[in-house]
Amino acid sequence: MATQAKPTYKISYATTVGFTADFGGRGFHLPVDMAVRDDGHIFVLSRSSPVATPGMRIVETDLKHTFYGEFGSFGTGEGQFTRPSALAIGPNNHLFVADDSLNRITEFDAQNNYLRHWGTAGDKPGQISGPSGLAFNRDGDLLVVDHLNHRVQTFTMRGKYIAQFGAPGHRRSQFNLPWGIDVGPDGQVYVADWRNDRIQRFAPDGEFIDSHGGHGSADGKFNRPSDVAVGPDGFIYVADWMNQRVQVFDTNWKFQTKLRGQATLSPWATEYLDANQDEFRARKSFQPVIEVDATDPHEISARIESYFWDPVAVQVDKKGRLYVLETNRHRFQVYQSAST
Amino acid sequence: MVTSATGTDTGLIAHLLRRAGFGGTRAEIEHFAELGYEATVEHLLDPPSVESMPQDIIRRYHVDQSDLRIQPAAGSNWMYRMVTTNAPLLEKIALFWHRVFATGQTKLIQGKVIVTQIEMFRKLGLGSYRDLLLGLSRDPAMLMWLDNNDNHGNAINENYGREILELFSMGVGNYTEKDIYECSRAFTGWTIANMPYNVQKMRNNTARPYGYIAWQFKFDESDHDFGEKTFLGQTGNFNGDEIVDIIAKQPATARFIARHLYHYFVADELPVPQWPHLPPRDPDAIEQMAEAYFRSGYNIGEMLRTTFNSDFFKAQAVHNARIKSPVEVVVGSLRLSGGYDWPTMDVYDATASCGYMGQGLLNPPSVEGWHGAEEWVNTGAMMQRVNYASKVLGDLSRPGVRAIVDAVMPLTDDGDAGTMVDECLAHLGHLELDTETREAVVNFAREQMAELPGGGKAKRAEVEQVVIAVLQLSVATREFQLA
Repeated sequence: MATQAKPTYKISYATTVGFTADFGGRGFHLPVDMAVRDDGHIFVLSRSSPVATPGMRIVETDLKHTFYGEFGSFGTGEGQFTRPSALAIGPNNHLFVADDSLNRITEFDAQNNYLRHWGTAGDKPGQISGPSGLAFNRDGDLLVVDHLNHRVQTFTMRGKYIAQFGAPGHRRSQFNLPWGIDVGPDGQVYVADWRNDRIQRFAPDGEFIDSHGGHGSADGKFNRPSDVAVGPDGFIYVADWMNQRVQVFDTNWKFQTKLRGQATLSPWATEYLDANQDEFRARKSFQPVIEVDATDPHEISARIESYFWDPVAVQVDKKGRLYVLETNRHRFQVYQSAST
Repeated sequence: MVTSATGTDTGLIAHLLRRAGFGGTRAEIEHFAELGYEATVEHLLDPPSVESMPQDIIRRYHVDQSDLRIQPAAGSNWMYRMVTTNAPLLEKIALFWHRVFATGQTKLIQGKVIVTQIEMFRKLGLGSYRDLLLGLSRDPAMLMWLDNNDNHGNAINENYGREILELFSMGVGNYTEKDIYECSRAFTGWTIANMPYNVQKMRNNTARPYGYIAWQFKFDESDHDFGEKTFLGQTGNFNGDEIVDIIAKQPATARFIARHLYHYFVADELPVPQWPHLPPRDPDAIEQMAEAYFRSGYNIGEMLRTTFNSDFFKAQAVHNARIKSPVEVVVGSLRLSGGYDWPTMDVYDATASCGYMGQGLLNPPSVEGWHGAEEWVNTGAMMQRVNYASKVLGDLSRPGVRAIVDAVMPLTDDGDAGTMVDECLAHLGHLELDTETREAVVNFAREQMAELPGGGKAKRAEVEQVVIAVLQLSVATREFQLA
């Protein structure tokens, strides 16, 4: 009798997209979330700094490093935000943006035109306090991580309240400042339960299924996971934020691998160095990976440019490509996954 | 004089908390008065726990306080620590060394490396001065600030070699130009990893393409002068470590550091450039502190223990004998007013305000740092100081101010303005006003109460506004500017 080979999982680095652009233009500034449209267009949300607000915007790009433009800006008017926190693309290809200070969700159409915003601050059903994660479910409704209320709420695209689950705490179905969210191919909902150092999984109706994690730096443990993404093959990717890595699990939470980052120069970065020959020359002796005399992953990442530094968001597209967005390096790294 | 059940003078506790911290709330002063003076000194020097707003919370909401690139972000990150810490002496000593070993973002560009330096001050600042000076000599921010990356075995740059002697240890008059040269030779090859590229990014002031790369110390053997050197009368093949050892055992070093500590913790001294020419304000105090330095193996914490328990520190003559630094004004006001239990955009205003008053965090004006004392005060700075404290402590939406007003309100019923004012002063860190000043504040309170519509039947909100006005007037006094 022939034995069946165990399925294997592989992932390999593909490319880096990004560039520091704190005054707008081609690049990002302290980005916190991204979304990938089915046509391959990629939207990156820069939260930027409250004292350097020109960097606050959404940039549209793709894996060919095309800069399509930018939209949105700092402010409280239509299509503006003060502390943007999350992105999601709806079934109609509209883009939805959360603002965790204004407590509202803003909708842009597929041509990036402002359409509307909605949201009321508070803790009653249908009110929100610090929306930090967005995802659409299979019904086309919007799941909003209502993080200061420690819950997830479901709204129609127009903002009509439908349902909620979650409460403050550390038991099952309870959250401590949750952050990112994703919906798997089977409709299950995954929530990065940030300060409980775990990922919780729920049925489409919000019924608790299971959770995984616990505080630590060993494989399978997390230190403030900020986001989770599920690939078309069911593999689970966790942005293990304070461990400065991404961990990969199969659908049964079996650890597969971890990524620390291996960024290369994007074409935008290369063009910059070509135009600044003094830096180009100085970089010739640059040793990208040095032995760091510190143990804190945040400090290690600060000293090694190719490593993830605050990997805040993860996305997987329908081709199984993993995107890891790094706040402090103003870029995202792309990996190609394959399971056989 | 008010004393606690243990017989401790609450005014003395308030004095200690102003110097070893940023002042105390009424509850803190009463708590430590119950604990006793010596026990409070021990608590401050060796805190049982060290807690402040967690960095994960700060970084999530203020993403610019993770890479710490720009000064408002880096300074605000420290501001959070100072406002929310339960171990204020650790922040106060870090601020002290930031003044003495002044390193500035204007040249270094990225704030993170200075924040890392501040963390080193927090960690080593109360320990061995020898260890601290060695840490400073290996600190990437300091090395770049004073150009030691350009100090090569075959081409000496004396910048760090000069300042470690002139400003960081002994002071002018205790070494020769030859000592500076020999000292500089010993520090050749003390640089940072990936120096050429990191220097170019710093010079070009660019965070492109992927942000800054935090610097790390590197000893480059190939660029070090291993030859024999004669330094302060000793000869050998000294490296920087041995130079630090020799500096640490100099009596001039003990007296120089003691005078700095006295200036910062006890009473305003003359600006540092005048020290070679004019004696200390209290030579006996300096000798006691210097003696503690050698007795303890160069331990800064032991120098402070000696200081805080000394008669010269407890003496009434040195109470309120220092002009608060801008950071002390801002942090002290915020610790009284509360409102920092959760990230707030207010922190950027607090950090900027320090700059408006003349003390931009992580941005000293030169390697000499801030001279302090009367140099803190000029017409513009004084307005900023008064306006800031008045704004913060007049803001009823801040929980600390709300609590003060709630505590004072019952004392407004009997119409005794003096009692009400004294209660306000007790809540403002046991603020002691001159008799004349107090009388003016009392008269103001009395007039305000008398002008209320309905007299004794005024609405609570109207009476609260009188209390707020009294608080604002109290923090606008000369006395509130002193520590």
